[in-house]
Amino acid sequence: MIKYERFQLPNGLRVLFHKDETTPMAVVNTLYDVGARDENENKTGFAHLFEHLMFGGSINIPEYDAPLQLAGGENNAFTSNDITNYYDVLPAKNIETALWLESDRMLSLAFTPQSLEVQRSVVIEEFKQRYLNQPYGDVWLELRPLAYQTHPYKWATIGKSIDHIEEATMQDVKAFFKKHYTPSNAILCIAGNLDLNNVRALVEKWFGSIPAGNKYQRPIQIEAHQSEYREKLIERNVPSSAFYYAFKMMGRNHPDYFVADSLSDALGRDKSSRLYVSLKKNKQLVSEINAYITGSIDTGLLIISGKLNEQVSFQEFDTALWEEINKIKTVELESKELDRIMIKIRTSREFQEQGLLNRAMNLSMYELLGDANRINDENRIYSKITTTDILKCANEILQKTNCSVLKVKADKNAR
Amino acid sequence: MQDRTIAPTLIAIDHIDFTAPKTHRLSNSVNLYHMNSVPNETSRFDLYFDAGKCRGAIGIAGFVNGLLFSGTEVKSSIEISNEINALGGFLETGISVENAVVSIYCLRENLVSIFKVVIDAIQNASFDEKEVKEFLSDRKQNMMVSMEKVGYLAQREFQQKLFASNESYSKTVNLSDFESVSQTALKEFHAQHYLKGLLKIVVVGNLPDKDIGFIKEKTRSLLTEKSHCFDGNLENKNGSSHINKEGALQCALRIGRTLFNKKHEDYLDFLILNTILGDYFGSRLMTNIREEKGYTYGVGTMIAELHQTGYFLIATEVGKKVKDDTINEIKYELNRLQNEKVKQDELQLVKNYMLGQLLKSADGPYSMTDLFLSAEMHGKDLEFYNEALVSIQKITAERIQELALKYLNWDDMTIVSAG
Repeated sequence: MIKYERFQLPNGLRVLFHKDETTPMAVVNTLYDVGARDENENKTGFAHLFEHLMFGGSINIPEYDAPLQLAGGENNAFTSNDITNYYDVLPAKNIETALWLESDRMLSLAFTPQSLEVQRSVVIEEFKQRYLNQPYGDVWLELRPLAYQTHPYKWATIGKSIDHIEEATMQDVKAFFKKHYTPSNAILCIAGNLDLNNVRALVEKWFGSIPAGNKYQRPIQIEAHQSEYREKLIERNVPSSAFYYAFKMMGRNHPDYFVADSLSDALGRDKSSRLYVSLKKNKQLVSEINAYITGSIDTGLLIISGKLNEQVSFQEFDTALWEEINKIKTVELESKELDRIMIKIRTSREFQEQGLLNRAMNLSMYELLGDANRINDENRIYSKITTTDILKCANEILQKTNCSVLKVKADKNAR
Repeated sequence: MQDRTIAPTLIAIDHIDFTAPKTHRLSNSVNLYHMNSVPNETSRFDLYFDAGKCRGAIGIAGFVNGLLFSGTEVKSSIEISNEINALGGFLETGISVENAVVSIYCLRENLVSIFKVVIDAIQNASFDEKEVKEFLSDRKQNMMVSMEKVGYLAQREFQQKLFASNESYSKTVNLSDFESVSQTALKEFHAQHYLKGLLKIVVVGNLPDKDIGFIKEKTRSLLTEKSHCFDGNLENKNGSSHINKEGALQCALRIGRTLFNKKHEDYLDFLILNTILGDYFGSRLMTNIREEKGYTYGVGTMIAELHQTGYFLIATEVGKKVKDDTINEIKYELNRLQNEKVKQDELQLVKNYMLGQLLKSADGPYSMTDLFLSAEMHGKDLEFYNEALVSIQKITAERIQELALKYLNWDDMTIVSAG
């Protein structure tokens, strides 16, 4: 049970406080309800570029990092297709420093041209390092537009291309801030051995005077129903051929979301999973195979990915994979198989929850989804999942007409 | 009207609580460390073996480590995985130059049951030919993927140059080494380095004494009997080398030298110098190469420790066109630390930051155990970290400069680039 308190400031900022008496450290986690899905299709990669700019100094404080380091703390951030999340971890007794810094950049950034130019270069290097200069690095740049046709999930958080990052202007930056970085679009979670009244007073002191701004209303974004099998083959100079089968699945707020998660575990979480045992160990078709879900708020993906063994054709693998998929759609899992999946879920949740930062991030995420308290329902929801639920879910998701396949063919002469 | 330009008052860290795990002596040279104060249901155990990459012929240590759970005469690899997974265990095996480690993360109620499975798998590993063949083919494929990454190519070349004085340490696997592995060689290495090679056991978790007793009993026959020698006189080969990688968009840089570990009197102060140079987000190198010039997504420095020595490393990946500029800037930053005293503001910031990080690394049973192990490896106890606290509080700009002059000479460095 993760306990927390919740309050809201008049400017719309939602605040969560989670007390943990066992640690000398504290966490300030700030989640903004903005991600790559909120970008203009012709200016992609912007939410992530903006995350970098949030460290380039705010209206009253020239540098973000240095004062936090002086307080013995450190910080980082990440951007996904759904959210942008910033966190500070510092000694609890210096908590006010983090609130001072975090509130000032919510008030306004410094918007220096130097910061934009440098972070633009840094992000371009990040694009190269993570997506272009790695074998299989560009897979998500190819898979997303294949799986999604109308929803903005069709581009990756890094952006569609380096061009978009090169073209970003200061005017874009300022408009994006005004639109998305308002108190009502943020969730602040403070965790540590602190006192609620003190926390409330400090939050009011630093965040209370930030103007409310206009709450951004996201247009409804729905991916058009997929009713055909999609496939794309790309050739790359990689050592072995790889495959990515992407099935559309329900978003995070759907009651069957956790069933789909369990289904992906049954297929390919570990060395006991269906696909690993059958396609790797028994049939020796692949050198690696995994199944996982993207965990998106809107329509997400259940992915089966891996690499073919030499001499194995895509066709041969494809036939064997669909045989396994048909099995899981026809016959219910054995109860010991379900038990194994559930004990692994429970174990990994225990480990995640022991970290203060993880607790703060998860509380913030659940608050965004509608109610922080749902963090405490997860175990109960998983424990109620039956083999019948999984069978039903498999039939719903694992359809050929719901599937987009990216094949990366190893070719010495390709780029 | 509140003045937002004024920072809140800071409170200095002057004391940190360090908690040691309980030591159980298993033999003259082997201990079991048990961290009992865990306020939740999680637990972990680690088994350390004298089976690092510096032992045996090229590649063999990595192969045996990767094959530890590939089956026994009576159990297949799938059966072993199923047993561990059915108990909710997460298995990790790892290997470094001097050690091999097997770790399990699980709920404490399952730790003893998983321990039985793990020990049986390790003790009776049979190196079935079909499993070996499959494993080598997978590993080869992984290595071919790695060889496409400039970071891997640079790191590999760097290791060869860094440990040039001792072939056992500098050797790295080649694709051809996957062709000539005999079952006999695997079994021999396993017998020598695992069946008689257990160096240390670590248990984290709120477990009763009888569980610890069980673990002691189960591992008795695996304990190493001899004391193990590790090289304390490694010397890097200085100078530059470049690995060409067609089509690469970035260039990976690895710059460093052999140095020392916690046993050395300059270690603690050097750690502060290392932080200033490249071990935090506001470091000299991050500021110069990333935040001012935008050459890279990241650059960092570290001190890596071995049993009898250690080394210093600067690592980054930069745009191909700015490789030479980046090397010049790194050189410039080393020179600047040698020629100019660090300003008080910067020194104070680094001190505070390091104290905060030390507090964080002692936070929680898992971090605390790792902190303890890092000292224990060099025969130190937790008093070492109280010394660290004092050394951070007392360090002067003069001392930083003295250490930079002593240890950061460009001519002493091995410089490797790949791209």
